[in-house]
Amino acid sequence: MIVEMNNIRKRFDKLEVIKNISFGVDSGEVVSIIGPSGSGKSTLLRCATFLETIDGGEILYMGEKAAYTDESGKAVYVHQHELHHFRSYCGLVFQQFNLFPHYSVLKNLTDAQIKVQHRTRDEAEETAMELLGKMGIADKAQAYPYQLSGGQQQRVAIARALAMKPKILFFDEPTSALDPELTGEVLKVIRQLAEEKMTMVVVTHEMPFAKAVSNRVLFMDGGVIVEQGDPKEVFDDPKEERTRQFLRVFER
Amino acid sequence: MTLSTMLSTMAGGMLKTCGIFVLTLVGSLPLGMIVALLRRSRFTVIRGIVRVYISVIRGTPLMLQLLVWYFGPFYLFHWSIRGWRFPALILGFILNYAAYFAEIYRGGIESIPAGQYEAAQVLGYSKTQTFMRIILPQVIKRIMPSVTNEVITLVKDTSLAFTLAYQEVFSLAKQISASQTSFMPFVIAGVFYFVANYAVEFAMERIEKALNYYR
Amino acid sequence: MKRTLACILALSMTAAVFAGCTAIPAAAPAAQPAEAVEETAAASEEAAPAGDEGTFVFKHGFDLDYPPYSYIDDNGQTGGFDVEMAQAVCEYYGWTYEAVPFNWDAKDAELNAGSCDCIWSGFTVNGREDDYLWSMPYSDNTQMIMVKKDSGIASLADLEGKAVGVQTSTSAYDLLNDEEGQAELAKTFGSLEVYETYTIAFNDLKAGAIDAIAIDVTSGNYLMSGETDFAYLDEELGSEQYAIGFRKDDQELCDKVNAALEALVADGTYDAIGQKYPDIYNYLTLGK
Repeated sequence: MIVEMNNIRKRFDKLEVIKNISFGVDSGEVVSIIGPSGSGKSTLLRCATFLETIDGGEILYMGEKAAYTDESGKAVYVHQHELHHFRSYCGLVFQQFNLFPHYSVLKNLTDAQIKVQHRTRDEAEETAMELLGKMGIADKAQAYPYQLSGGQQQRVAIARALAMKPKILFFDEPTSALDPELTGEVLKVIRQLAEEKMTMVVVTHEMPFAKAVSNRVLFMDGGVIVEQGDPKEVFDDPKEERTRQFLRVFER
Repeated sequence: MTLSTMLSTMAGGMLKTCGIFVLTLVGSLPLGMIVALLRRSRFTVIRGIVRVYISVIRGTPLMLQLLVWYFGPFYLFHWSIRGWRFPALILGFILNYAAYFAEIYRGGIESIPAGQYEAAQVLGYSKTQTFMRIILPQVIKRIMPSVTNEVITLVKDTSLAFTLAYQEVFSLAKQISASQTSFMPFVIAGVFYFVANYAVEFAMERIEKALNYYR
Repeated sequence: MKRTLACILALSMTAAVFAGCTAIPAAAPAAQPAEAVEETAAASEEAAPAGDEGTFVFKHGFDLDYPPYSYIDDNGQTGGFDVEMAQAVCEYYGWTYEAVPFNWDAKDAELNAGSCDCIWSGFTVNGREDDYLWSMPYSDNTQMIMVKKDSGIASLADLEGKAVGVQTSTSAYDLLNDEEGQAELAKTFGSLEVYETYTIAFNDLKAGAIDAIAIDVTSGNYLMSGETDFAYLDEELGSEQYAIGFRKDDQELCDKVNAALEALVADGTYDAIGQKYPDIYNYLTLGK
C-alpha cells in the first residue's frame, strides 16, 4: 500500500465532513472519487496531503504512520521534520492550479527540486524539461503562467507535482476550473500517466473519464464512502440507491 | 543675502532632509515587515502589543511623537538628553513609518491567495522558504503603489523635523525667509521637494516596471 | 497653532504622569511643584558654573526665526543682537558658547529638559514675570499696528471690521488674546489672521489680503526696511521688555549673566553690538 487511511474523521466546527472513512491505494492503482459537492471528497484529499489535520483515525504512507489516534482519542501527528518526509511521498494537483505567478514555467518546476530536495540545477532542469516535453509544453519553459491557457497551466501544475517524484499523486477536480474545450488536454495527460502505472487518486466530475481510466471508483456522499468497486460495476450497476440517483444526473 | 549664499545655506538643509529620508526608509522598510509578521504572530500577547503600537502611532500626530521621543527620556527618567536630538528624530520617524509600512505589508500578505501557501506546503517548502520565495515577492509587487505613496509622503513629512529644531530645508527656508523678508527660500524649498519627489516617483516607476514581468 | 502645541505638550506630559513620574507641565513652568524644581536642577547640573569656568558650556537657546535678535544673517551664518551678546558674555567669562536653535513652540520643554540654559531670543518678560528667572531687561519693545499708508486707517478704532494679521506665539499675538490686554480691540476686527511667520503676513498685507498687521516694532522695522508704502498707527497696542529667561532654580547663572551684561555695558561692547542693528538700536535700554 502506498497510502492507507483508517477510520478518518474530520470536522469543521460542528459540521462533521468526514465520518469514519477508511481506504487505501496500492502501487500503480488509479482511484477515482466521485460524489456531489460537499460530500467530503476534497477534504479527504487535503487530509491525505496534510493540508488539513484529521480529528481521528490514522494515516500511513508506505506502511509508516504519519498520524494516529492516541488513547484519549485525539489525533497525533509525527514530528514536523518527519512530516516533511511524508509530504515528499505525495503530490497534489489543485483545481485552481496554484502555480507561482512570479516564476517562469521552468522555475515553477525546478525551484522546489533545488530548494526542498537539494538537487543540482542541471538535474532539476533536466527533470523539468523532460516532464514539460511529456506534457507537450516544452516550448513554454520560459513563459510565465499568465501567458498560458488554463489547460496549459494545469499541465504545468501536474509537471510541477511530478518533478518532486512523488509515490502518489492526488488530483482535486483538475478540470473543474477549465473551459470545456480545454479539459481534454488535461485528461489526456492523466490517462497517459495511468498507462505508465503512476499511482493516482482523482477527485472528478468527468464520469466517462473516471470509468475509462480508473481501476477503482469511490462514490462519496455525506462524509462517508457509499459505494466502491470496479468502475464498470459502480457506473453500470450501482448497488446503492444514492449512487444511482447521483449518476442519473450525469446521464442526461 | 545673495541668491548663491541662500542656495549654499539651504544646501546644508537639503542634505539633512535627504539624511532623514534615507535613514527613515532604511530603518522602517525592514522594521515594518517585522511588525507586520508579529502582527500575525500566533501569540495573542504579541499580536495585542503590536496592534496597540500601530494604533497609537497611526492615531497620534508625528509631531507629537517626535516631541515624546526627544523629551520623553528627560521627563520620564530624568536622563540628560544632550546629543539625543538627532537620534530621537530618526527613531521617531522610523517607528512612525514602520507602523504604516507594516499595515501596507499586512494588507499585501493577506491578499495572497491561500492556494499559494498550500501549493508551497505540498511541495515541501518550509514556512520560511514559503514566505521568502513564494509570498514576499508577490507581496512586494502588490504593495508597490501604496509604498510609493508613503515614500512621497515621507519626503514632505521630513519638514516636521523642525519640531525638534533640526535645520532641515524647510526650517531653514522659514528662518531665511524671516531674516530676508523674502519668499525666495520657500520657492527654493518647493523646487527641492518637487525634484526630490520626482526622483522618488521615477525610481518607484522603474521598480514597478521591473516587477511587471508577470501578472 | 500655539494652542495645538500646548495641547500636544500637555499630552506628552500626561504620558509622563502615566509612567508614574513627576511631570513638569512645560507650558506653565510657574506651576512647578517644589519637588519638580529640584528634579530639573539635576538635569542642569552643568549649568552651575563653579570654579572651573573655562570648561563651562553655555547653551544659548533661541529661535532662528526672530530677526534681528536671532536669525540667519546675510552670510548664511547664525547671528543677531542676542546671539552676539550671548557670545560676548561667554567671551567675558571664557565659557564655551553653544548655539541651541530651537522650535519656539517647544522652548519650555527645551529649557526644562536642560538642552539649553536660557531662552535669549527677543523674549518678552511681560505676562511671564513669574514663569522664569529673569535677567535685567535689556531692550524695550512696543507692539504697533502696521498699515499701508494709503489704507485710510488712522486709528485703532478704524480697524473695526478689518482683517488683521499676527504671527503665532508672539507678544502681539498674546496681547490680542489677553483679556487684560487688547482682546477687546481684537473683537472689533473683522478677522484676526494668525500666521506662521510675519514674512507671509507682510506679503498678504502688500497684496491687500489683509488690512493691517499687529507686530512688535523691532520686527516691524525689520520688515519695513527698504519699503516706503507702510507706516505704524500713532497709537501703541502695548509695550513690553525683553530679557533673558532662566530656569527658576538657576540663580547663580542668572547672576553671572547679569554681572557680565553690566560689565559689557560699561566697556561699550553692548553699545557697539547694538549699533550694528539700527532697527532696534533706539530701543536698547541698558546704559541709557
